[in-house]
Amino acid sequence: MNAFFGEGIAGSVATWVAALVTIGVWAYLVGERRLFGLAQHLLAGLATGYLVLLAVREVLIPRLLVPLATDPAGNLLLWPALALVAAMAAAHWLPRPVVAVPVAVLVGSTAAFALGGAVAGTILPQLAASLLQPDAGATGVVNGAIGLVITAVVLFGFLHGVPRGRMVGTVARGGRWVLLAGVGGWLGFLVVSRLALLVDRVGFLLGDWLGLVR
Amino acid sequence: MIDRVRGSRGALPRLAPLALVLGIAAATWIWPAENADGLSTANPDRSAATQVDEAFDALPPDALVLVAMDADLGTYPEIRGAVRAAIDDLLLRGARLAFVSYSPEGRAIAAAELERRGDSAALLDLGFVAGAEAALVRSVSDILPAGAGAGGEIASAIRSGGSGIGAFDMALLVGGSDIGPRSWVEQVGTRLPQLPMVAIVPTFAQPEIAPYLRSGQLTAVLATARDDAAFVEVTRSGDALRASDVPSSVAMLIGAVVALAAIAVALAGSIGPAGSAASSPDAAESDEAEP
Repeated sequence: MNAFFGEGIAGSVATWVAALVTIGVWAYLVGERRLFGLAQHLLAGLATGYLVLLAVREVLIPRLLVPLATDPAGNLLLWPALALVAAMAAAHWLPRPVVAVPVAVLVGSTAAFALGGAVAGTILPQLAASLLQPDAGATGVVNGAIGLVITAVVLFGFLHGVPRGRMVGTVARGGRWVLLAGVGGWLGFLVVSRLALLVDRVGFLLGDWLGLVR
Repeated sequence: MIDRVRGSRGALPRLAPLALVLGIAAATWIWPAENADGLSTANPDRSAATQVDEAFDALPPDALVLVAMDADLGTYPEIRGAVRAAIDDLLLRGARLAFVSYSPEGRAIAAAELERRGDSAALLDLGFVAGAEAALVRSVSDILPAGAGAGGEIASAIRSGGSGIGAFDMALLVGGSDIGPRSWVEQVGTRLPQLPMVAIVPTFAQPEIAPYLRSGQLTAVLATARDDAAFVEVTRSGDALRASDVPSSVAMLIGAVVALAAIAVALAGSIGPAGSAASSPDAAESDEAEP
């Protein structure tokens, strides 16, 4: 079913390891925490090793070192990048003002991309999509009005710590229930999705490992 | 009395492995493998699947499709069937696919999926691109890695189209990790608004992604197990999906039994003096100081 493991001895070993680790994780359900802890440590170790391998093989060597070695004059921008990498790697021994530069560049650029994208790609287009269009028709107007009422009522539900009368309190209470209804509906989908993940593991054990089902 | 209840509750977990093994043995004996049909939905909602199908129909012949594989290892099994069905469907339509990843986990999944399909002239591996959203922006103008087969047909087509994401006819976004369809909409969609983007995401991402479909920023979205199952059925009618990729109904049955048992054990543990103080919105209300 998964078909991630190839044929031959390597595939068989991988399938057995995956099956045993799956059972080890499930052992937590019956109170066996040592196997679960072992599986956690195995995952953490594998993830760290994989990240190091990925960084070296797919980023540092092909995108930084090889271009600098083959065409140093044609990749001028990579020299300051190399300096920033070196500063980050030696952060433990360098003065704080020196280390602050690459960190500031990293944080600043990440925030700039995220903020710019959120404004231009989410907030403005979503606001535009929420506005009632002149050619929306009766159905569009009704849908827009329902959306407006639900949004307002839910926002009232977040009124905490401010003086409010009986009517506002009732609306706020209704807003919380509307919010709960929405979250409940989504959680229903989420339960089904988690069941699908469990079925996948059961299918792996029965099919790929034991060969009882296809 | 209390000791007896505690004793019975303690015996349940100890007997669980034995019950599980017996249940599996009984189910596989009663329901042999040759009688096990693939999983399907009784009353599927095909609207999302139809939207994806229509988006694929709109592709030109020999279309160039970018598969942005940034799924999460923990939730990928939920969408794996739909992703494989979509890839199979695109290949059957004659599309050429290039795989790229902006997350380490997505790269691992992309590498496994590519290895599973073997060498093919219709597939190109663009590898892992570090830098998250900044890397996405850079890919708009240049997505080809330095060593991407200069003579490869797909690489040549990308190069002739400007070397960036704009060279593609569609982006198939497989989400689940931090870099997903939302990042694509925000960083790529604003720069290449004409690029059709189809997303396949796990259920947990559905509330985040659904608004982009309604605003037209995404062309189509598969975001729930129901959507995925409907899409798999749609493509199965075209023989696009191998039967072995469909979850077994035996596994579904056993999984449901195990899930119910786990829920029952959890409920048995929560019922009691500590678990009886259920909270409600009104309970939260009472915490606030009314004027």
